[in-house]
Amino acid sequence: MKKTLILLVASTAFSMPIVVPAWSATPTPVGNITSAVFSPSINANENELPLIFVSDDDERGWSRLVGREEDDDEEDDEEEEECDDDECNAGARNPAPAGSVAPPKNGLFGTGAPPQVQVK
Amino acid sequence: MKSVLTTLALTTALTLPGLAMARPVTLTANLSNYGGDGAYLALYVTDANGAYAGSLWMAGGKSKYYKHLTDWYRFTNGDTAQVNGITGASVGAGRSLKISLDLADALFDAGYTLHIDAAVEDMRESPNEIVVPLTTQGAGTAVKGRRYISDFTYDM
Repeated sequence: MKKTLILLVASTAFSMPIVVPAWSATPTPVGNITSAVFSPSINANENELPLIFVSDDDERGWSRLVGREEDDDEEDDEEEEECDDDECNAGARNPAPAGSVAPPKNGLFGTGAPPQVQVK
Repeated sequence: MKSVLTTLALTTALTLPGLAMARPVTLTANLSNYGGDGAYLALYVTDANGAYAGSLWMAGGKSKYYKHLTDWYRFTNGDTAQVNGITGASVGAGRSLKISLDLADALFDAGYTLHIDAAVEDMRESPNEIVVPLTTQGAGTAVKGRRYISDFTYDM
């Protein structure tokens, strides 16, 4: 019986250093006595650092990557998501569709005739 | 009768140089099955010095997305007047865009280059997806695209 008790105490003593840190890392409500005792240095609400996405891909894309580079673009991306109609586009007017006005006089169109387009 | 003939000769004489200065060209872009939304495509030309000469076609009607056609946007600052009257719908994956137009003769064999910038929502931007010198010899030769365009050809 005495031998069993000694083994129990010894195994408990060995397991405590493992159990206590794991327990203290578990998020608990602020003010909880367990948190105060076991996690003096680990608190989810203090010294929180932002997560950083790591990628080796430096190419730019439509919507996804542009917004991470500049704040202005982030706003634009939000606009892109929210505004699907032309009314949101007050600052940048959409071009006139083909057939509604003559092509621009840029010297490329030999006769000035509008291009004919077919999509299959 | 004589005055009619004179008028006819005069109008013919005035029209012929104009016709001779342009040639009918067909631009064909076959898009690959990239598995995304419709592609915005900007077709434009640069001169022998690499300076922007003008746009030929814009596939995609919403100017708020033009910034993703990065090289075209850099040249034009997104000026929609550059593509007024030459703008149509974006082109879906796996589809074929065929544009028939009269191009100025002066564009061929004079160092001009045709560019296509491409962009697809939630996918990578692809400036200079196609870059092809405008030469009479190059007509009919398919050029491979980088990402969204399977191949591109101009025929005369």
